[in-house]
Amino acid sequence: MSFVSDTHSFDSFEDALEGQFELGVTDGLPVVPPTPERVAEMLAAGGVSGETILGEVPTRDVLVTAEKVAINAVMAGCLPEYFPVVLAAVRAFLQPKANAHSTTATLAGAAHTVIVNGPIRHDIGVHGGQACFGPGFRPNATIGRALRLVIRNVCRTVPGVLDRASFSWPLRYSFCFAEDEEATAWTPLHVKLGYEREQSVVTIQSIMRLFQVTEFAPESEEILTTAYEIARHMGLQRDEWAGDGRSVVLVIGPEHYRRLVADGWTKESIADWLYPRLVADTAGKFDQKVTLASPDNIWVVTAGGPGIAQSWWFIPHLATPTHELILR
Amino acid sequence: MTIVTLDPTTGFGSGEEFPLALRPETLKGQVLGVVANGLGDSEAMFDAIASALTDADGLAGVCKVVKHSVAVPPQPEQWAELLANATVAVTGFGGCGSCSTRSMRDALDLEAAGIPAVCVVHSALEPAVRAMDRLVGADEYPVIVIDYPHNPTAVWTKDESAMLAARVLDAVRLRLTR
Repeated sequence: MSFVSDTHSFDSFEDALEGQFELGVTDGLPVVPPTPERVAEMLAAGGVSGETILGEVPTRDVLVTAEKVAINAVMAGCLPEYFPVVLAAVRAFLQPKANAHSTTATLAGAAHTVIVNGPIRHDIGVHGGQACFGPGFRPNATIGRALRLVIRNVCRTVPGVLDRASFSWPLRYSFCFAEDEEATAWTPLHVKLGYEREQSVVTIQSIMRLFQVTEFAPESEEILTTAYEIARHMGLQRDEWAGDGRSVVLVIGPEHYRRLVADGWTKESIADWLYPRLVADTAGKFDQKVTLASPDNIWVVTAGGPGIAQSWWFIPHLATPTHELILR
Repeated sequence: MTIVTLDPTTGFGSGEEFPLALRPETLKGQVLGVVANGLGDSEAMFDAIASALTDADGLAGVCKVVKHSVAVPPQPEQWAELLANATVAVTGFGGCGSCSTRSMRDALDLEAAGIPAVCVVHSALEPAVRAMDRLVGADEYPVIVIDYPHNPTAVWTKDESAMLAARVLDAVRLRLTR
């Protein structure tokens, strides 16, 4: 297999490892040296040729090819069987409404989450249960990291250059998890988006703010009340360009969905109940309108482990969530 | 044992020189395009700039577009309006990470379309717009810089907006003429 990328030569594996730091292409952690053999294996697993164009960032004159994505996936530590997920994640990230330039150059330091649905979760082990937002799970850690390395190395989002985040945040190392579809009888996210249950799908949501909803009350309405009050803490202003597709994601954990399911709630009824309360007029500095076009813009996902009575809001940057079928 | 690795980056800079649009001798009779990104209170500053140049320099008109989001290109219809009417242009305000670089790109895109342009940015974001310069081969493309104590994200009072407009007026005139 031939490649168009420039090459670098090193005298040893250790030199190659250290050399990636000197080249300025890591996220600050060591990376797997992207040898042509490893990259070829990645492309083969994805069923794509290196010159395949996955999308572009027009403001930056960037065309993203499968070869560059495969190189970064190797560096992130992905196994080849993860690569179809990485390809779909990059395609979703590069959809125009994901607003790749804005969400990665912003002072606010927005991050992106990769949510995986469908059978591939089990095939490659993307974790959606206990501690699924954190470290310890290779598919989660490396798929999310691969997207971030593509954002850095291919899309030119280097801190101090086109990455202008004032603080940035740890979610920019990696953030990928699976929906725990089997946890409830609720409709999985990808099925709500129009895919078949047997298909595998990635969803990308930009994250401007991440809010924890901790509510120990057993009453389901009390849980949802706390949820909307927390989301309204800083609100969400309308962005004309992002338009009616701009959405929030509510990840509901087991202690909450157990109570909600027992009281007969569904994803649809949760969204219908929350919507008027979220979009009610601003009433104060910390009680602000969350501007959404309809209840369909509240995307409910199940994940996490038992114990604390907790759910999480993902409030977007200037983008809409995007999704792509994982091709295998 | 030699280990070969593939480079994960895309290159920076086209390597070609970026041609600037031909400047008019004066602004008299020109139509000023204003590509405002709506950041904070910056639109008021651009309105004041347009008004002052109309009065003092004899602009023939102003063609202002306000983008639908701070860090996206003008909508196709806005772009068409600019190309059809503007003969010189000012963009900005470059006071946040993504909007500064996008505003710089707006100015460079206008230059490429033959319309002399200048981008107004905050000093905190100057390194970002310089990266955009390098990207298209327009190194050291002139920008107009607003400095502290004025807030980068354009949270300005009305008076402050007017004062900033007055302060940058000569520089706008200088950058848009030869």
